[in-house]
Amino acid sequence: MTEFERDPIIDRVRDTLRGAPKATPDQRAVARVLQTVWESPRPSVWQRWLGAWRLPAVSALGAGAVAVAALALGFVSRGAVSPEGEAAPMAATSAPTGEYPVAQPAAYDAESVRVPTQFVFENAGAAQVALVGDFNEWKEDATPLVKLPNGLWTTTVPLSPGRHVYAFLVDGTLLVADPRAPKAGDEDYGREGSVVMVFDR
Amino acid sequence: MSDSRPNSSIDPTLPLRAKAGDRQAFAQLVDVMYARSLRFALHMVGNREDAEEAVQDTFVRVYHNLSRFRDDARFEPWMFRILANRCRTVLEKRRRHSVVIQYGDVPDRIGATSEGGRDWTEEVYKVLDTLPAEQREAFLLRHVEDMAYEDIAAVTGVGLSALRMRVKRACDALRARLTEVMRDD
Repeated sequence: MTEFERDPIIDRVRDTLRGAPKATPDQRAVARVLQTVWESPRPSVWQRWLGAWRLPAVSALGAGAVAVAALALGFVSRGAVSPEGEAAPMAATSAPTGEYPVAQPAAYDAESVRVPTQFVFENAGAAQVALVGDFNEWKEDATPLVKLPNGLWTTTVPLSPGRHVYAFLVDGTLLVADPRAPKAGDEDYGREGSVVMVFDR
Repeated sequence: MSDSRPNSSIDPTLPLRAKAGDRQAFAQLVDVMYARSLRFALHMVGNREDAEEAVQDTFVRVYHNLSRFRDDARFEPWMFRILANRCRTVLEKRRRHSVVIQYGDVPDRIGATSEGGRDWTEEVYKVLDTLPAEQREAFLLRHVEDMAYEDIAAVTGVGLSALRMRVKRACDALRARLTEVMRDD
């Protein structure tokens, strides 16, 4: 910073603008944007060359319609993990295979569309592992994982489309972020969690 | 939601993976950048609906133009250049249509109180509104998004000395109008 920029007033203006409450996106905003991106037509070569292509304006109402349409369709973003295969890079959304029990989160809402989402955790030495997250109100006993013969722990949970923060609770005491998933910036459980994005299609 | 702090570091492999067609990588990019993008757009255009539209439009353009993103380039200045253009388009459209904010209406970015109380926050936004768009843009990129001048030059296409002058004038205007408000707090 140069001298003319560094003073208490500018510092306070910066803090005010960085903390603007209305700039906080709602929980579904990222999912809405992604839905629009996936559904947007690729511009033609001429449009790109001219730089003149435009999206139809999407109002709040339009975005809501997109979200409703998205809920009606469902989206599978990643494949399932087989018991003998390598661990998935992160929580995966997939159709349940029937081989593993499907856990029902405590806050499950049967009226809304849910996308089956598989979580996999590798810890052969653990006696028990539970999944905790914003979707089960971080309840320690709501979503236990099942241990597979190859040392992987897994469960499949129906999640609403959007962004969810979660972690694994090992042996009832040790909270561990998913080492293969992106880290969450927020700390819903007092410690860093992981992020899973669930999409509709 | 996403990290809204300035300079939220992006895994440099994410844009490259997204460019190669990895949708999960693109989703992570949006997740990391959304809050910052919305904040910048909101401060630039002044209302939430326009800001959200500008941000959404930006990510659509980013997605369809990833093939043009150079592997050795940095993603944030590249993306903010597109976002700044979208915000300029919104402002230009509004100027052409002569949208008038009626007396008593409050722009969306004047929301709940900040630590300094409502008067301070309102005054900040009032001054921000009076700044020419190019000064507001340079100030926000420099002080709120914490960008280096070299990156702001990449975003705006304006030379370094002109950018420094824009930031200085914005700072001068804010200082001149807010000194008294700060003293009254």
